[in-house]
Amino acid sequence: MSAPNCLRCLVRPSAAFRLSAPPSTSTLTPATPLTAATQIAAFSTTRATAARAQSPQTPQATVKGHVRKGKRLTLKGKKTKTIDHGKSPLPGERKAYRKRIILSNDNAIPVPWLTDLTAPGLADPANVGKVLALPPMTQDQLRASEAFKPTQCWGMFRQPAVLVRKETVDLTNRMQEAAAARKVLRMVLTGNKITGKSLMLLQAMTHAFLNEWVVIHLPEAQDLTTAVTEYAPLSDTNPVQYSQPVYALKLLHAIRQANADVLAKTLTVSEHSELPQSLPAGSPLLAIANQAKEVDSAWLIFQALWNELMAPAPYRPPILLSLDGLAHIMRVSDYRSPSFDPIHSFDLALVRLFTDALGGAIKFPAGGAVLGATSRNNNPRSASMELALAQREAEQQQGVEVPQKDPFFRGYDERIEAVLKSVQVLRVGGVDRREARALLEYWAASGMLRTVVDEKVVAEKWTLAGGGVPYQRH
Amino acid sequence: MVAIIFGVSFHEQKLVKKALESFYGLGPQTSARILAKHCIHPRTKIGSLPPKTITALTAELSTMTIESDARRIVQENIKRLRDMGTYRGRRHAMGLPVRGQRTKNQIETAKKLNKVERMA
Repeated sequence: MSAPNCLRCLVRPSAAFRLSAPPSTSTLTPATPLTAATQIAAFSTTRATAARAQSPQTPQATVKGHVRKGKRLTLKGKKTKTIDHGKSPLPGERKAYRKRIILSNDNAIPVPWLTDLTAPGLADPANVGKVLALPPMTQDQLRASEAFKPTQCWGMFRQPAVLVRKETVDLTNRMQEAAAARKVLRMVLTGNKITGKSLMLLQAMTHAFLNEWVVIHLPEAQDLTTAVTEYAPLSDTNPVQYSQPVYALKLLHAIRQANADVLAKTLTVSEHSELPQSLPAGSPLLAIANQAKEVDSAWLIFQALWNELMAPAPYRPPILLSLDGLAHIMRVSDYRSPSFDPIHSFDLALVRLFTDALGGAIKFPAGGAVLGATSRNNNPRSASMELALAQREAEQQQGVEVPQKDPFFRGYDERIEAVLKSVQVLRVGGVDRREARALLEYWAASGMLRTVVDEKVVAEKWTLAGGGVPYQRH
Repeated sequence: MVAIIFGVSFHEQKLVKKALESFYGLGPQTSARILAKHCIHPRTKIGSLPPKTITALTAELSTMTIESDARRIVQENIKRLRDMGTYRGRRHAMGLPVRGQRTKNQIETAKKLNKVERMA
């Protein structure tokens, strides 16, 4: 019986085969000189095969000329692995990705009934329990002052929108009353984790921007006190205060970008010859802020701007001074003085400015508000602040016993108590059912919640969410 | 950019604190105090120091007993023990542990460091 295939076709190219194979290529390419490789490369034209065929009897020698059979021994820890992970990110790229703020999502469904906030919108009691969108102009201003945080879920919706809560209307009304009476609302926002303290601050800032206030926002108090930015003693202060020029420059840029319109309308009352470019009286405040280009002159310019904002004049806008993460400034900072003593946070000039305003030592010419929000994330314990806030809260309620100092505890700080002696406290709690319903309806309309929102669903979600604290984790 | 402090050049991305601690005889405590004295915050990098501060740091370091001065003090102390013929001096000379540790194993650090002319 004969084989179905020609046996010669299955034979691998070998010396024997080569000898017997007809020199077919020579007829095809008569111009090239006949070598062993070209003769053999009848069926396979790869170089490897050709190379092997060139010296078929000698196994491949290593670089050193030593021929070694079998698996190569690799000692532990001596392997040279070259795994290609692709291009690694540039310095700072990972952080930029982590901290990026996305305010819109083209894949989200646009909500047809969503309306933009107007100037009195956040102070209108009729808007309680409504979700309203932030106007694009305000978005830019809020972004410039770093009011949005990377942990907030703005990127899930077509357009940033906020829920108007009872507390919001309460807060904005108090701000308006204070500005109308040319007084300063001094308030601390506090509450449990993820109840919306920073968001309440954002709403207060939105209200201020829409009503043409000047907003000065310190987005993270820990940037000021954890010794991560440059500091320098101020020469004419006793006891010594410290300026933070790099932070001041960043703050000035934010102020200029967020409040450009208002600052352009406000004029200086005195001449400023101490600035890098001297300014005559009657020039817009924006011209002062525009001079902030160098770190060396940043604190000087900030002081000039602040003094002008504080100067009594025919037109001065109300001011909102706000800070997030209050506990970080209510402690001794991580900075050290030249004699290696810890520097109290209140001896940092920028913090001192905020605490003076919060304590009531600074009067704004057109009134305004000083808001501090506590944070429950990465929060240093400040016994004095906790006690003072509990005391103020108890004093605001009728018939509640005011907590007293622990006589056996030494960690209280009188300077902190003095600042928080007369502030108001606004406790931010969970949303109520009506507000929860508005939120769920907005989420459903945006395509985030795939269910029909009715009373039963609202009751169920509200209860499961620990009484209206969204995403509460235990 | 490279900055030169006390004759040693450092990369601009190096922390000032770590740069100071690279000198023999200058540890975390002293470096923290030097930083505070010149109002440099602990996370400052060499690149962000003004030239004036770098000069001041070099001047500061030149008044301190660091590097070869500090090494010589240690060597003199060991030499004194050796000259007196003390047990500690002998152990140093033999490259063995000085403070009563067992020598069955784990004496690599002693072998490395304990010499009459100690360098590290």
